[in-house]
Amino acid sequence: MTGGGHAPLIEVSGLEKRYGELVAVAGVSFTIGEGEIFGLLGPNGAGKSTIIRMMTALTRPDAGECRINGLDVVRDRLALKAVIGVVPQENNLDRELSAWENLDLYARLHRVPERADKVRAALAAVELLDRADGLAGRFSGGMKRRLLIARALLADPKALFLDEPSIGLDPQIRRQLWDVIRQARIRRKSVLLTTHYIEEAEALCDRVGILARGRLIALGTVPELQERVGAYVMEHIDSEGRLIQKPARSREEAHALAQGAGNGSVTVRRSNLEDVFIQLTGERIE
Amino acid sequence: MTPPLWYPVFLREMLLFRRKLLKVGYVFSAMVTPIIYLLVFGYGLGRSVRLNGGDYLSFLIPGLVAMSSMNNSYSWVASALNLNRLYFKTFQVLVQAPIPSSAIMLGEVLAGMVKGLFASLLIILVGFISPAHFYLSPLFLLALLLNCFMFASLGVITGMLTKSHEDTSTYNNFFIMPMSFFSGTFFPIDKMPTAVRVVIRALPLTHTNLVIRSHSWDGRTLLSLLAMAAYGLVFFAVGSRMIRRYSE
Repeated sequence: MTGGGHAPLIEVSGLEKRYGELVAVAGVSFTIGEGEIFGLLGPNGAGKSTIIRMMTALTRPDAGECRINGLDVVRDRLALKAVIGVVPQENNLDRELSAWENLDLYARLHRVPERADKVRAALAAVELLDRADGLAGRFSGGMKRRLLIARALLADPKALFLDEPSIGLDPQIRRQLWDVIRQARIRRKSVLLTTHYIEEAEALCDRVGILARGRLIALGTVPELQERVGAYVMEHIDSEGRLIQKPARSREEAHALAQGAGNGSVTVRRSNLEDVFIQLTGERIE
Repeated sequence: MTPPLWYPVFLREMLLFRRKLLKVGYVFSAMVTPIIYLLVFGYGLGRSVRLNGGDYLSFLIPGLVAMSSMNNSYSWVASALNLNRLYFKTFQVLVQAPIPSSAIMLGEVLAGMVKGLFASLLIILVGFISPAHFYLSPLFLLALLLNCFMFASLGVITGMLTKSHEDTSTYNNFFIMPMSFFSGTFFPIDKMPTAVRVVIRALPLTHTNLVIRSHSWDGRTLLSLLAMAAYGLVFFAVGSRMIRRYSE
């Protein structure tokens, strides 16, 4: 079983990808349960997109295994594609086709029954039905993202892969996207989400894996990860203007650290995933 | 009835093609090169040239149809696939769909054939209104179809091989353009030196030019038809394999 008592639908074991000398992904293993949102958190170049590409049959792994709904990503490539939906990092809609045509073609490729009804419902679900005849290339960034999500869900996949779904979106549109992702969880989809937005991972994910330089360095629920490095953080600006952060196991411990910090601005707050990331890697997520 | 697996791939290309047709520039760009050749070589230079007792225009027009169908079925497939794979990333939608690589290949090739046939149409129309002795024989149509099939399939291979959009024109300059001139489009290959002729006879467009101008199903014509079919099938198989083994 995965965290939170979900039966695993996705099993990744020792996944590895090299590009020449560069090790993009180094022996990554995790599972994702049915109806679980799993987040992969890490800075640019950590290997998040490569993992998604390997799991969605775009990139062949050099080593390791990935099974989705019992189907192997290499040996059962064709059957596996019928159970996945993908929202890529880059918009790959046909710009010169309408929203309707984009979804209709996808439905044809995936042999979706009652195609017209499903396309209409998918557009309505992301509030784009009134723009069905509009060219995808003329949509705003938020509309394109919504259309990509509608497309990924159109064939009713068991597993949904979202690669940086809210990158470049304003906060209001981002929250609308989060609602769509949460609805996917309600419909028992397994969701793999990559992000470098801390608040996105905290708001959506049942469990989070932290990636650095192709390695999964921590995995757990957000509270579990916070506990691992300290549930509280004492922050203070020193006499040279530098931000000093110290983790603490309890609020009392953090306040004790604050008293010893001397003069200047001192704050005690709960730790977040970024603190976890900094503690584990010594790097910031950018 | 359920449509075949290649149909959505073909339909997508046709929807995009329809949008392009509405732009005047697209139609013009597909036609301009062969029309210039027709005017310069056919009506200009051709007035003072006679070949095997016949007029040059009657020799030239089938060659221009072959060249135009080659250029268009090849270039549009190679260029579109390259752009869709490297820049627009729409090719990835096809690769991630639960359809076999042969269905993607067939959809792309059939779409390329339609584009090649469309570009040939104007030259064919010019052939009918020109003073040249020009008619559509079954051999002419078969050669045209096989030519589009060969070069659309080759277009997929180039589209899959190229690592940037600039690479497409490199392949074009080193392979397609020389073939346009040396494969019997503008002059019979019999006039070439023997050593050069051996190389020319190996080029796929040479066989198209031979069949498209042939008036009988003789041994030489059948051999060229076989060569065209073989080229087409090999290109198709290689293209399908490249799609099947696609990995980023």
